[in-house]
Amino acid sequence: MSLISAPVPRVRRMTLRRRRQLAGFLFALPAIALVVGFIGVPIGQAVYYSFTQWNGLTSKWIGTSTWTQAFHNSNLWTALQNNALLLLAVPFALGLPLCIAALLHQRVAGWRIFRSIYFLPTAISWVVLGLVAERFFAYQGTLNSIIHALGLSSVTTNMLGYESTALSALGITFVFTMIGTNTMLFLTGLATLDPTLEEAARIDGASRWQIFRSITLPHLSRFIQLAFVMTVIALFSALFSLIFVMTGGGPGYATTTMEFLIYQTGFNQGDFGTAALYGLILFVLTGIVGVVQLRLIGSNE
Amino acid sequence: MTTLLTPPNDTERAEAPAPLSRPAKRKFGRWVLFVVMVAVAVVMLYPFWVMIVTSLKSEAQFLSGGGFSWLSWKSLSATIPIGQEVLSSTIVCSASILIILLVGLPAGFAFSKLRFRTSTAVFLVIVSAMMVPLQAILMPEFVNVTRLGLTGGYAGAVLVYAALGTPFSVFLFTTYFRGVPDELIEAGIVDGLGYVGVMWRLVVPMAVPAIATVTVLQFIQIWDDLLVGLLFIQNTSERPITVGLAVLAAGRTTSIPALMAGSLISALPAMLVYLGFQRYLVKGLTMGIDR
Repeated sequence: MSLISAPVPRVRRMTLRRRRQLAGFLFALPAIALVVGFIGVPIGQAVYYSFTQWNGLTSKWIGTSTWTQAFHNSNLWTALQNNALLLLAVPFALGLPLCIAALLHQRVAGWRIFRSIYFLPTAISWVVLGLVAERFFAYQGTLNSIIHALGLSSVTTNMLGYESTALSALGITFVFTMIGTNTMLFLTGLATLDPTLEEAARIDGASRWQIFRSITLPHLSRFIQLAFVMTVIALFSALFSLIFVMTGGGPGYATTTMEFLIYQTGFNQGDFGTAALYGLILFVLTGIVGVVQLRLIGSNE
Repeated sequence: MTTLLTPPNDTERAEAPAPLSRPAKRKFGRWVLFVVMVAVAVVMLYPFWVMIVTSLKSEAQFLSGGGFSWLSWKSLSATIPIGQEVLSSTIVCSASILIILLVGLPAGFAFSKLRFRTSTAVFLVIVSAMMVPLQAILMPEFVNVTRLGLTGGYAGAVLVYAALGTPFSVFLFTTYFRGVPDELIEAGIVDGLGYVGVMWRLVVPMAVPAIATVTVLQFIQIWDDLLVGLLFIQNTSERPITVGLAVLAAGRTTSIPALMAGSLISALPAMLVYLGFQRYLVKGLTMGIDR
């Protein structure tokens, strides 16, 4: 068959392949245009404008002095420090969901309902969760009510009001907002675990903790890695809504993270050039985490 | 399976020094577990409780602590232009998702089945754009979109949302379409459907679950977003609900019960979508790891 048909349609086949490739290129073109135009080009522009004095309308090339100025600006270091301190919330943002997923995995009566309840806050905007968190931490809020109910009426907190505690309040809120997503990830991971493995270990006399450590946790490692990356990226680039609603970056600069500093520098101070530069720093920071994630995805393909 | 496994368990139990205590301990353990789960549920439901209880107070009652009133609900539209804001959110969400699908489906088809030279490299570049946070390119983006005159209506925000959502949808559709047999596409071509026809009539109908995943994830993402709506929609009369709430909250002058009522309304659509399409959400989140 191949002997007869091969020589004849050869020419047609070539053009067919060409046509297919052309169709493929045209099909991909709108996506390429959108991503290049709205993500690729601005990255290049950010590099250019980071060397200029720019107010959004006119820009003047001033070379590397924006960079030296920026690195002498204490606000940048405060923001980076705040981001670094918030990283301390990551173990909680992973550990609590891990425990909750393990609880759900025990399949207690009504676990499906519990699952839906636990995931429900995931659907709500962080703007709304920030509003609620503000009520929680406020002077007349839930936190103080709880403290008073525990009989500690001499203690009254106003966590969002003080530079020393505002960041912790933000971190706690962040942990809460991440619980749903990460629990969902871990639960999916647990569902792919072969139940006979655990059963066999139990028969062999392994304790619950031993089973969790030697079977469940290693199985979940990929999911934990993914959750880690997603949590860190959220920490660097999704806190804007919470900060905007809860603290506005204050008191002082106590809750100003990199992403909020970009917004403030650009839109409150009108210093677009420095804001573009800060954007590049954020880009590099998330880029590092992003490379890790791509390698994770790649290693599975 | 369990019946096979119970006998050895029973003998083990019989050998144990206190045979009766073990099941009792287990039952007790189950109860503790249940109580812990209820406690977690209370914590997770806390935002809803705060919103409901606070919205059912007048401002004076809220400040004094006690009481119940429908006032903030009755006067809601006077405090927050809720109808218009929900409409704006709906328009922005639908338009963005439509573009994401219209752009992502052909691209996914191309990158999986109609591969051209450099298509792998282009695909990788698009996928890595997933990692770029908007804040990193916020200033040039804002200036570009403003210069193009797109911040007057919804167009600017819609295009930015579409661009931000496209990399993920391209990734998801490409992975999904890889599973479509080549023979199907060739058969369609032989039948004279053409590539556009093959895509819309044969491939896209098979991709309904992937389309649902993209739609649900993007809907929640865009509906809940603040930054893009805040900066790229300049007319206050075209503000989406999330932006409206955030601006009022940051202003610190609006009555909190009214804000909570507005928050509940804003949370409702995303929650319904979420409850209805939970499994698509899970699928999207674990995409690339769980296959």
